[in-house]
Amino acid sequence: MHYAYPSRKSSNPPPYLPRSSRFPRLRRSQLRTIALFGLAIIGLIWLFSGDSKHHSRRTISGKPRAVVVTVFSDATDNTAYMKNIRENRLQYAEKHGYGTLLAKASDYDLQGAPASWSKVVAMRHAITKYPDCKYIWYLDEDALIMNPRLKVEDNVMSTSKLEEIMLKDLPVVPPDSIIKTFSHLKGSDVDLILTQDKGGLATSSFVIRNGEWAQFFLDTWFDPLYRSYNFQKAETHALEHIVQWHPTILSKLAIVPQRTINAYATNQHGEQYKDGDIAVVFPYCSELGRQNCAKDAERFSQQWRTSFNNA
Amino acid sequence: MSLSRSPSPVPGGWSSPGLNLSNSGRSSPAKMSFAGPNGGPVTWESARLKSQGVNGYPSFATHNQGFFTRHMRRISSSLPTFNMGADDKYAEKDKPGPSRWNPPLLGRLRAITARMGRKWKIRALIAALVLACYLLFYITPMWYHWRRAGWLGGGEKFVIILAANVGGGVMEWKGAREWAIERDSVRNKRKYVAKWGYDLEIVDMSTKKRYAHEWRESWEKVDSIRNSFRKYPKAEWIWWLDLNTFIMEPTYSLQRHIFNDLQKHIYRDINEYNPLNISHPLTSPYLDPDSLSAEGDGDVNSVNLILPQDCSGFNLGSFFIRRSDWTDRLLDIWWDPVAYEQKHMEWEHKEQDALEQLYTTQPWIRSHTAFIPQRLINSFPTGACSDNGNDTRIHYNENDRDFVVNMAGCEWGRDCWGEMYNFRELSIHLNRNPWERFKEDFLAVIWFKLTGQKLEWLK
Repeated sequence: MHYAYPSRKSSNPPPYLPRSSRFPRLRRSQLRTIALFGLAIIGLIWLFSGDSKHHSRRTISGKPRAVVVTVFSDATDNTAYMKNIRENRLQYAEKHGYGTLLAKASDYDLQGAPASWSKVVAMRHAITKYPDCKYIWYLDEDALIMNPRLKVEDNVMSTSKLEEIMLKDLPVVPPDSIIKTFSHLKGSDVDLILTQDKGGLATSSFVIRNGEWAQFFLDTWFDPLYRSYNFQKAETHALEHIVQWHPTILSKLAIVPQRTINAYATNQHGEQYKDGDIAVVFPYCSELGRQNCAKDAERFSQQWRTSFNNA
Repeated sequence: MSLSRSPSPVPGGWSSPGLNLSNSGRSSPAKMSFAGPNGGPVTWESARLKSQGVNGYPSFATHNQGFFTRHMRRISSSLPTFNMGADDKYAEKDKPGPSRWNPPLLGRLRAITARMGRKWKIRALIAALVLACYLLFYITPMWYHWRRAGWLGGGEKFVIILAANVGGGVMEWKGAREWAIERDSVRNKRKYVAKWGYDLEIVDMSTKKRYAHEWRESWEKVDSIRNSFRKYPKAEWIWWLDLNTFIMEPTYSLQRHIFNDLQKHIYRDINEYNPLNISHPLTSPYLDPDSLSAEGDGDVNSVNLILPQDCSGFNLGSFFIRRSDWTDRLLDIWWDPVAYEQKHMEWEHKEQDALEQLYTTQPWIRSHTAFIPQRLINSFPTGACSDNGNDTRIHYNENDRDFVVNMAGCEWGRDCWGEMYNFRELSIHLNRNPWERFKEDFLAVIWFKLTGQKLEWLK
């Protein structure tokens, strides 16, 4: 068929869909580009902003879990008494896979300070020898580990156990120091565990958590100006001093009941040992001569051997 | 304007106060103001012209006379339109809500862009960008916030502590020169801080009863640093500055000058420059490898204290200390009664000597302390440390454009204010802008050669 003119267009325009907004709608492909672009920008910002926080240099892996440190005075060198104690430490460490540092006082140059200061250096030495250990337990030479089943990391230093047993708001140096242990201290913040006996803070047995704080604490404690000051009880009184004057130390300190790590053989100077306590200490025994210590230890020697054999 | 009687042209303005226009006091009648028929001011001249123009052509043309007449329509149509409507809407004026004037701004912009060619669009875009950048960076304080923000410029990570009022209060009376020193020093640091987005903490070091009683004077530093860390929780580094210091080059930012490349600017092995002859590294066999190493652990992030050393040892007139647990411990044990009791007679420089003592004896301090060449943050004027003549490690040199000058010890026999004034003028002189340099170093010199006269206004 043929027409002279093309058919007439309708005067009514075809109905378009009304525009939903003033702006053209984003297409799906565009959306993806925008999302990628946004992500890239966020990524760049994240990259360049960086994390400027100062991380601790090294993480401590915890091998071994703990180290037992004992310093033998030169007088006891190579006696049967010393061998007994040495064996006691080694057996305990072997049982739990702990490290040991059994040193002689004369190993360290104390520059004229009393030999009892050597415990501080020995602890520092233990950090060097076992940089990855978690805890370091100093136990005096005149002491025996009695209960091999108790572990340092579980029965003393575990957060929950600590929070349960630590003595809060207690005068650091009894009876009337105005400096008191923190009453809101979390177990995870504790780096140092001490006990008190009747004379004040006791340094015959204490535990430190390894880390930068431990180095700081030991170096500070070992300051030559403290060593030269002639504290009456040498390092023990120096410790009482720094604990009371320096809050960065006090805030990491927990005082626990004495029998937790530092039960005494008699109740003359502090709380007396009961069966099941982790260790027994013979305080001040050497004041009456070294043989006196051996006599004290005799009572417990058989006991620790049987309990180690049974465990 | 209604007048009670007809105005008369009296020299010195119209007698009627209502007609006293801006040019009262003029004597020439030709210039005298006159209220025209519309009430507006007319001059005699224009009135004369107007009356002459009655017979001639109108005094103004109505066609194509200027830009505005030619473009009036276009301009007026693009102006915002006001709804001058009904009076009964007055009540709405105070109502909050959508404005009654709602110009279709976006629509008009779209229309304009649609009319533009592609080339013009690009040009307009570039111009708009340039304008926006100019506005953002030079008109608004955005550059300040940019430099300050922790994730951009990082300025908020730095706090400057300025020790003001040293020894004032109980110990001595402050005279005009002391006030002038303090004013200049504070202004210098204020400007620097405002430029780079840092924080400035001015601490009052006047000897307090508290410390006088405890014999702890000059250990206030410790408390001030601790307080500042608490006050500025975002601060990472604190820069301690004594009052007698002057920042000679305010265009150096701490980041560019030191901290972006910290490793390059500091040294941890004190043997590099060791005026105190401290034996380093430590040798005690029981210490860990990091403590025995001359460089600590070698990681630049473990540096918590950056000290300059002058001819006689550590100098605490200008030093950096970083927020960290280590710093808390140092600040805590810096003052100790047992140490003080034994040493206070020897410790002439009090806290400075105490720090040297700690550095010498305590391994944990050594492994986190670094030193910075003195002239990077603490140049001395020739008067200080002058026993061995000029030392390129210590003394200020304007050719090297040293950052900070510390007039250390000027209060003992030297002229603090004189030194401060000279360094201030030198700093201004060194940091002239190009136009000032052109004027002073070129124009003024030429003029001087030509005429033999100095030009005061070019100065």
